[in-house]
Amino acid sequence: MSDVIFQAENIVKHFGGVHAVEDVSLSVIAGSIQAIIGPNGAGKSTLFNALSGFYKCDSGKVTFKGVDITTAPIHRRIAMGMGRTFQTSSIFPNLSVYDNLLIGLQSAANLAFRFRPVDATQHKTIEEKAERLLDFVNLKASAHRPVAELAHGSQRLCEIAMSLSTDPVLVMLDEPMAGLAHAETTRVVEVIRKLHSELGLTVLFVEHNMRVVLSLAQRIMVLDRGRVLAEGTPAEISANEAVRDAYIGKEVIESV
Amino acid sequence: MAHVAPEIFNGLILGAFFAVVAIGLSLIMNLTGTINLAHGSFMTLAGYLAFAMVSAGTNWWFALAAAPILTVIVGVAVERTLIRPLYRRDPVYSLLLTFGLSLIAEEVYRLIWGTNGVPFSPPPSLQGSVSLGFTDFPAFRLFIAGALLVIIVALVVFLQRTRLGLRLRAAVQDSEMIAALGTNTQLLYMLNFGLGILIAGVAGVLAAGLLGLNPQSGNALLMPAFVTVIVGGMGSLLGAVAGGLLIGVAISVTTLFLPAFSEIVMYILMAVILLIRPRGLFGEEGIFG
Amino acid sequence: MRMSNRAGLIAALVLLVLLILTPQIAPLLHLAISVCTEVLLFAIAAMAVNLLIGYTGVLPFGNAAFFGLGAYGAGLTIQFWHVKFFSSIGLGVLAALIGAFLIGPFLLRRRGIYFSLLFIAFGQVFYFLAYRFTDITGGEDGMNFARPVIEGTSFSPPDGSFYYMMLGFFVLIGILFWLLVRSPFGRSLIAIKENETRARYLGLDTDRFIFVALLISAAIEGLAGACYGLSIMFADPLQLDWHQSGNFVLMTILGGSGTIFGPFIGSLIFVIGSDILSSAIPWWQIPLGALFVVCVLGFPKGILGTILDALEKRRGGFGYEARDTLHGTVASEREIQP
Ligand SMILES: Nc1ncnc2c1ncn2[C@@H]1O[C@H](COP(=O)(O)OP(=O)(O)O)[C@@H](O)[C@H]1O
Ligand SMILES: [Mg+2]
Repeated sequence: MSDVIFQAENIVKHFGGVHAVEDVSLSVIAGSIQAIIGPNGAGKSTLFNALSGFYKCDSGKVTFKGVDITTAPIHRRIAMGMGRTFQTSSIFPNLSVYDNLLIGLQSAANLAFRFRPVDATQHKTIEEKAERLLDFVNLKASAHRPVAELAHGSQRLCEIAMSLSTDPVLVMLDEPMAGLAHAETTRVVEVIRKLHSELGLTVLFVEHNMRVVLSLAQRIMVLDRGRVLAEGTPAEISANEAVRDAYIGKEVIESV
Repeated sequence: MAHVAPEIFNGLILGAFFAVVAIGLSLIMNLTGTINLAHGSFMTLAGYLAFAMVSAGTNWWFALAAAPILTVIVGVAVERTLIRPLYRRDPVYSLLLTFGLSLIAEEVYRLIWGTNGVPFSPPPSLQGSVSLGFTDFPAFRLFIAGALLVIIVALVVFLQRTRLGLRLRAAVQDSEMIAALGTNTQLLYMLNFGLGILIAGVAGVLAAGLLGLNPQSGNALLMPAFVTVIVGGMGSLLGAVAGGLLIGVAISVTTLFLPAFSEIVMYILMAVILLIRPRGLFGEEGIFG
Repeated sequence: MRMSNRAGLIAALVLLVLLILTPQIAPLLHLAISVCTEVLLFAIAAMAVNLLIGYTGVLPFGNAAFFGLGAYGAGLTIQFWHVKFFSSIGLGVLAALIGAFLIGPFLLRRRGIYFSLLFIAFGQVFYFLAYRFTDITGGEDGMNFARPVIEGTSFSPPDGSFYYMMLGFFVLIGILFWLLVRSPFGRSLIAIKENETRARYLGLDTDRFIFVALLISAAIEGLAGACYGLSIMFADPLQLDWHQSGNFVLMTILGGSGTIFGPFIGSLIFVIGSDILSSAIPWWQIPLGALFVVCVLGFPKGILGTILDALEKRRGGFGYEARDTLHGTVASEREIQP
């Protein structure tokens, strides 16, 4: 199993004089779980945004399932099986958790543009899928509360469930643990692990917490000032001198 | 062609008015997300205040300086009391509020100064005309052209060279960052609004002498200023200048040759430019770049 | 609707009975029936605005262009082609739709205040067209035309029956609107309003949704405009002007955006209020402007939104119906997000 499902070649993205992403290449193997790390401002989010169609790349090429999607609109990428979350949770704050999922579910079922109510069988399918997603992230108890009222960690989980609602094969998570309390982090880590192990999805995530990254990821890419500093297995990365010097506090690695 | 040249010059003056009003609008719009529909009312206010001063016997030059300052005081008071509570809210609220203010203002002007316009002539020193070699040109128009040019250059220098100007531009790009740096955002918003109104005030006094003064005269410049912002590229200082001049000349030349299209021409221009450059002439340059 | 379905239905039925009795009640209150018709038509126009502000999250400050296109569409086709009653309304709607088709692609490029700015400017094109092409439109003076006969009859409805026909349209649009915002499409619009980026990342081609919402809004606005033209038998450029858009937006916010009945409440207050004020004082624009200021600073959620909030606080609920939402009801009434 070494099929490359997602590939980025020589991605460049500048903001005026800021070279946020400078010639970054990346391959994601189907079924794997890979991480991107790097200090604040390294360009991780910008890279995610360029890869997922939020920004236009200045140059470079993005392929997904062998199809060139460099300039594809976002909704086409989603239809092809991409899903993502944002560094600051991107949800529908005034809608209930259930409704948050519903929007993606009806979109995936090609019902989003429908003017008539959906019929009973479609409704049942959607309801079952929603139940499964709520179970998966363990948010059943809050299903009918507005997401804005939930704790930060639950909002995160809701967003992950939303990104799953469109049946993706590749899930991109931008700092899913950012700003979470310790107990919440454990919940989210568990869910990410299950994305890979239970659902068999390909996962690409950005993370700060080295402990989490080293324990979850099969491959790691280190970004620094818009460029790739190193790439490899967790063992290779924690042994890499350049990485240690440039970014990772030694104690962190040694403590793992 | 001899009759075209003065028309082009008149178009440039008209366009400079559009540019100046558009810059004031964009300053306020980009920093605070407020489309100031009362902008024209502030211009009219400055015009009427200057008219009242001159009628009361003051010097025109004094009025040119004092009326805009009084207008700024009114503007800042409005900003602090009515508009400020709306900054963190949906733009629909500030749109409705400034729209309501413009309705009130128009009626107040009507009550005080009458429904019809009032005559407000330039000072004697600016009456008469100046020979430009190929044609004679009214001195007042030349003065206005010079004054607007000075305003535009001063603004560019202010925004790109002074510390306060740089802070304003930085705040436009990232108001949270500026707040984090310890700049007093509320003060910055107020100064920015005041600056927008100051330019509108000066333009209002000048326009009153050239284009007439009635309860709606300032509002007449509002729509061309909107189109100027769109054509130039929203947020671009250079774009506002280029867009304003382009529209002014287009209107003048069309008035000469195809008068039926004189009001429509700027919209045609807007549609064509947006088709070619979706973000306007200088829209991609970033904010006030 | 945040109100439970039953309360909403009862309110709707009470309102309907009152509206049916209005021609009997109005004279007692010294209200002309034409003013009551105007309330209904402006309520329809404000519903069109509400679809965009309250359910899609884009700010239409140029919607009156579609209203005026409806009025001119009806007036001009009556004048020049001698079309009959319902055809003229249909052609008014068509004119508004064509207008939306033409300017929509320009507006869709931007969001937020820039969308509004483009909408104001492009909407104003139609104002100047009507203003300038005097030979056809009568220019600034507007154009008078007679209310035509209904298809297949020689009956041209007088003001009394006209009111009931407009009530029919009002009820029809109200029901369709209610169904629309509860349909999957309506849910998608609400999602776009809540967070367009997220909606895109759930696979929605949001440009397409907003464009269709704009077309629906334009069609409703065109219907209101065409009927308004037939009501006063007159079309003039001011019906297309952005000031008129501002009035519609005020009605929507004043009543409560994102609510079904809000636009009607807003229209009722606005139309009756300006009718009384304008005949009482010559400087009535001052209290009208003050209404804008008071509404924005005092009732940002609108009258209905404020009442619903107060009721909810007493019940201690979240304001969200905990039930399935494809068929049922969800939070479609929210304060506009910053
Ligand atoms: N929209 C933007 N406009 C301008 N500069 C940006 C923008 N987004 C990010 N940047 C800049 O690009 C660099 C990379 O940012 P980002 O991708 O957010 O880093 P990371 O996610 O690794 O912390 C930073 O210097 C940041 O200031
Ligand atoms: Mg980041």
